Amino acid sequence: MSGDRKSPLDGNLVKVVFPLLVILAPLGLSVIGAVSAGDPGAEEPFLELPPEPNEGCVRDAEFMRFHHWELLREVRDQVVRGGGRHEISLDRCRSCHPSRERFCSRCHEAVSLQPDCFGCHYYPADPAAAVDHARAGR
Amino acid sequence: MEILYQPLDGRSRGYYALLTVLLAFVAAGFAATFYLVVHGLHNSGMTNRIPWGLQIVMAIFYIGLSAGSLVVSGLYGIFGKLEYKPFARLAAFLAMLFLVAGLLSIVTDQGRIDRVFVEPFSHVNPSSMFSINPALYMGHIMICIFYLWALFKEKGRLTKVASVVVVLWALCVHTGTGAIFAFTPRELYNTALLPPSFVAAALSSGAALMIIVLTSLFRVTKRHLDMALVIWLGRLLAVFIVVALYVILIENAHRFYQIESREATTYYLFKGYHAWLFWGGLIGVGSVVPAVLLFRRRTGTSVRWIVFASALVVVGVVCERYLIVLPGLEYPPELLPGMEIVRSALDEGIVAYVISPLEILQALGVLSLIGFIFVLGLKYLPLLPTEARAHGESQMLKHLIAEAKAESAEKATGSSV
Amino acid sequence: MDRRKFLKTGGRFLAATPFACDLLVASVASASGPGAGRWGMVIDLRRCPEGCDACVKACRRENNVAEHGDPRWDVHWIRQVEIRPHGQEDAPTRTVPLLCNHCERPPCAQVCPVRATYQRDDGIVIVDHHRCIGCRYCLIACPYNARFFNYRENEAWPNKDYPKRSHGVAESCHLCAHRLDQGRLPACMEACRDAGAGAIVVGDLDNPESEISRLIAANSVKRIREDLGTGPKVHYIGL
Repeated sequence: MSGDRKSPLDGNLVKVVFPLLVILAPLGLSVIGAVSAGDPGAEEPFLELPPEPNEGCVRDAEFMRFHHWELLREVRDQVVRGGGRHEISLDRCRSCHPSRERFCSRCHEAVSLQPDCFGCHYYPADPAAAVDHARAGR
Repeated sequence: MEILYQPLDGRSRGYYALLTVLLAFVAAGFAATFYLVVHGLHNSGMTNRIPWGLQIVMAIFYIGLSAGSLVVSGLYGIFGKLEYKPFARLAAFLAMLFLVAGLLSIVTDQGRIDRVFVEPFSHVNPSSMFSINPALYMGHIMICIFYLWALFKEKGRLTKVASVVVVLWALCVHTGTGAIFAFTPRELYNTALLPPSFVAAALSSGAALMIIVLTSLFRVTKRHLDMALVIWLGRLLAVFIVVALYVILIENAHRFYQIESREATTYYLFKGYHAWLFWGGLIGVGSVVPAVLLFRRRTGTSVRWIVFASALVVVGVVCERYLIVLPGLEYPPELLPGMEIVRSALDEGIVAYVISPLEILQALGVLSLIGFIFVLGLKYLPLLPTEARAHGESQMLKHLIAEAKAESAEKATGSSV
Repeated sequence: MDRRKFLKTGGRFLAATPFACDLLVASVASASGPGAGRWGMVIDLRRCPEGCDACVKACRRENNVAEHGDPRWDVHWIRQVEIRPHGQEDAPTRTVPLLCNHCERPPCAQVCPVRATYQRDDGIVIVDHHRCIGCRYCLIACPYNARFFNYRENEAWPNKDYPKRSHGVAESCHLCAHRLDQGRLPACMEACRDAGAGAIVVGDLDNPESEISRLIAANSVKRIREDLGTGPKVHYIGL
């Protein structure tokens, strides 16, 4: 740089770069973590299939795998904003996939997603609890 | 006359110590906010009857400070007072930072901070003051940045236009902030005079803070600051105080005169700790004492007294902001006129707000964050002028100073004889 | 880019523009939702027995309303207050249930910055808890103290068929909209009937043949703080 005005970057590379590294380190670590999680060598999450004679799926597996959250959000808005119960609800998911741990959580964990649906909506991680609930509730 | 700007050297031990202390407070505030977000707001002093607390008080206090700083900055841009040009950049920078602080205080007060950056932008409700105000605040920050840029680049005409726009916009911002309270059906909130009184107190607190910041900054960095400039700012402050006092008195007289709000106003003005805050803090310490100090010739021409009066004004306005938010919540809405509620599962009577340590940490954190940015700005931005000399009308004030000196000298000799 | 892909991306872009959708929804909103009538409530205080809190208990159980044992943070969708005429120490007290009045012009919905609180076409004022940011402006604006904020996490979950709420969102009575939509009665009304009192009646105010309309026509009813102009829809007989 010319002139008598000194840029704060001049000669202060260490001073600038080091704090930047410190600030950006968590971001970098999370990227590394995400990349290693998506490592093809890693074990694919196993999702439990519904028992054979089932009532039929909401949509086909391929669609659900990639768009279930969009569908759920859409339905959620329809139910909450528009009123009226809808054909698709967590209850219906639960009738074929009783275990949240084996149906939702494994995949979410593998891609390190933490949807906060289940803090308020009932979907037991353990199917035994679901059976209890079904017996007590109906 | 050309003004030279020379940033702080910023290599002293004191400078880094200051930055470290500020950063520590920021970390503490962040931790407090994180704790509240994760574990719930019941760890704050707020309850179902007192849904707003210290953070909202501080938010409107900061937003008020921003207006006053802008007026000091606008002395050059709008009124063409060339001798105040050295302060224009500093004041505009502070105005922007205070608005950031206000916005930050509101954001950290929300129950679901994770949604604050999504929902208000995707679902706007034009009938909500809480939806209109963030737009006003964001716009204000943008305009401040533009105005600062014009000041940095020494764009004469553009600066003038920008300073008019920014002051007008600030008026909207403060009216909007007052309207958050004024447009709700609570006895102590529901008054159309609240926005104007909000603006008036904003001007006095902002001008007072600018006086404190300018005098201390020039002193610490050993730069020349003409006394006459500070004295003139002190006079401006005195006028602001009187205007604010007038609006506040009218507002409360009106509330008291109206039969439906008399009971609530009696509680507010004469009972409990509010009476102390109102009469002692706002009226006495915050308005009358500083006004007298600033109007008296001897004290009004001494920088030390002016700074002292300014500090009192800032304290008074903090009281005023507290009095805007909390008494209106502590006093219950009248649910069943003519009836008294003997028993209920909810506290239906007058309830008290107790500030929690976590909220204090949050407030300190926000203040420290903008302090941190300000201190960095002093080093990396050309904000600080090398000197500020009086050469316009305030030159005339030098007579006043001389007269006051002569007077006190006369008294001194008189007493010794 | 082929046509299908283009449409798909376009659709996704639209879906990712909630504001645009919101405007669209707002313009056609009057056509959506269960528009059957206009829900209101009558509480016949003459039939409300002394010492009975069936409605409060049923509401808590049905809607998973938080109770922490501390009046500062307890949530009450319906609460009982004991009142007596002002200044008459020895006058007998009476119990009045207070709840959200589902105002015609709800101040809470007016001030909600994200339109999480809104009025359905059938007049019910309801909170979208997925959208609420927890600013508590609705608590400030409600002149009835009928809005509550979840200051702490609710651990109890008696009714698993109805969701609870996370801490950090505001809530109030929704007239058991989930039950009304299924053609069932609100929990408080059902409990009141089961207790043999039958003091609470929820029904369609627009239908002159409904039980609620006939009750309002036949008795002198009072609404709380009508002078505020909010148009409360909870009517009291014998207040």
